[in-house]
Amino acid sequence: MPTSSDSGGRETPALAVQNLVAGYGDFAVVDGVSLEVPVGKVVAVAGPNGAGKSTLLKAMLGIARVMSGKVLLDGQDVTSAPLEKLARLGVGYVPQLDDVFDSLKVLENLEMGGYLCNRVERQRRIERVLQVFPQLQAKLHRYAETLSGGERKMTAIARVLMLDPKILVLDEPTASLTPELSRVVLEEQVRPLSAMGTSVLLVEQKAVAALAIADWAYLLVRGRVEVSAPAAEVLSDPNMREIFLGRAAAEVAARSVDAE
Amino acid sequence: MHLLIEAIGFGVASGAVLALGAVGFTLQFGISNVLNITYGSLMTLAAFLGAFLLGLGLNVWLVMALGGLLIGVASVALNRGLLSPLIRRGLQPFGLIIVTVSAGIVVQYMIVAVAGPSTVAYGNLSGATLHFLGWTLTTAQVVILVVALVLMVGLHILLTRTQLGRAMRATSSNRTLARSCGIATTRIGDIAWFLSGTFCGMAGIALAITVESFDFTLGSVVLIPIIAAAVLGGVGQPYGAMVGGLVVGIVSQVSAAYWSPSYENVVALAMLIVMLLVRPRGLFGANSSSRKLLA
Repeated sequence: MPTSSDSGGRETPALAVQNLVAGYGDFAVVDGVSLEVPVGKVVAVAGPNGAGKSTLLKAMLGIARVMSGKVLLDGQDVTSAPLEKLARLGVGYVPQLDDVFDSLKVLENLEMGGYLCNRVERQRRIERVLQVFPQLQAKLHRYAETLSGGERKMTAIARVLMLDPKILVLDEPTASLTPELSRVVLEEQVRPLSAMGTSVLLVEQKAVAALAIADWAYLLVRGRVEVSAPAAEVLSDPNMREIFLGRAAAEVAARSVDAE
Repeated sequence: MHLLIEAIGFGVASGAVLALGAVGFTLQFGISNVLNITYGSLMTLAAFLGAFLLGLGLNVWLVMALGGLLIGVASVALNRGLLSPLIRRGLQPFGLIIVTVSAGIVVQYMIVAVAGPSTVAYGNLSGATLHFLGWTLTTAQVVILVVALVLMVGLHILLTRTQLGRAMRATSSNRTLARSCGIATTRIGDIAWFLSGTFCGMAGIALAITVESFDFTLGSVVLIPIIAAAVLGGVGQPYGAMVGGLVVGIVSQVSAAYWSPSYENVVALAMLIVMLLVRPRGLFGANSSSRKLLA
């Protein structure tokens, strides 16, 4: 994983957002957000419904309108760059919904994920992602629309890995999954990616599960960053936990942290 | 029985032309989601271009290929120059339909302005009459049938066996996701409009070859059965459009043989309405609500 440093010796983040104001039409949903995703780290963005989490991701990816502020990829200004250009720069994206090509077979979904590489490299990557997701081997010739929720998400993550992304942007990857499957996706599929050098930006409503695998956490409320702190600190500090998760969820989280 | 077999033969021949047109129509809709009513006028333009090129002494099949390519380019220009800018400015689908209807009328009357309102004929290009399977077809009809078949097999190979074709289906299935894979969906759109225009142009010239004469209304008259064929097969489904074209062609010809030629379109359209009452998504329409270019 190539990294670079600025003049102060501090590592340039894989992805950074500076004072981003973004939304739809003239309405700003994201109101001056700044955040950083360091190289090889998992960063979680949590927040209640309507906080602007998905809009933040869409603005970073050139899908929602950026009114002001900057998006930097490895220090390079990519504000409002088209999504296909970001893919070429190594940004992988898994949307919350519509995360697979329904009318394509699983194998074809993987081939589209590796659209930017040549045939030999594509084949090599297919073999590699099938080692990560051996369950997909038997489903390769099934149309994606016939898959279960878990299989779809697996296909979606396998597809994005075909891009060999430097940075992975995941919008609520566990939204449609059972708690057990959510844990599997986050702990067994997302977390290991950062160990391989991929930086991950994760938006999750299931904040406990997201914080458990994240290095850093941001809490977004009404389009603004309310809290920015190490994820472990949020989980271990009762006050922070309550701010992030709300009282009821914080108590549940406390029990699970204490149990460990 | 003999009459039925003969009528089916004619139906297959005219159905091949409809299928060509319907495949082009549905291919473009599947990718861009624009119901392009200008399509009929572009078919007319192809027929008139064909008359001009034949006048230069070119071979008729070369004319068909050239006409297809020229209408392919015109189709890309229509999308890039008119429709895409309007979509970028937020024009809704209903507004777009009105724009394509208007553009179609403009093209139609531009043809009248240049070529005049009178009928045009390619002359007798039918060739020898061939008899097989109880069918009586002209050489020209058989060639058109073969060309249509080759084009459709070619399209099938493109969509299922090539990375470009898969990217076209991916774009049709989910444009944002396709972009996130690095697929240049605007270029894919151009290719779809070009292919659609090529099918449209070739269908227009094939039609002009098989009729005695035609005028500036050629495309607008045939557009209805073409849309019927596309809807019958399931909009956005190239294979559905192929079958839809054949079904509309055969039903029209059989009803013309047994009833009256003036009712041939009426019967096909009545059948379409019944079909949609029974199966709203068409013969090959997808089970999910999403529009898609299934292969």
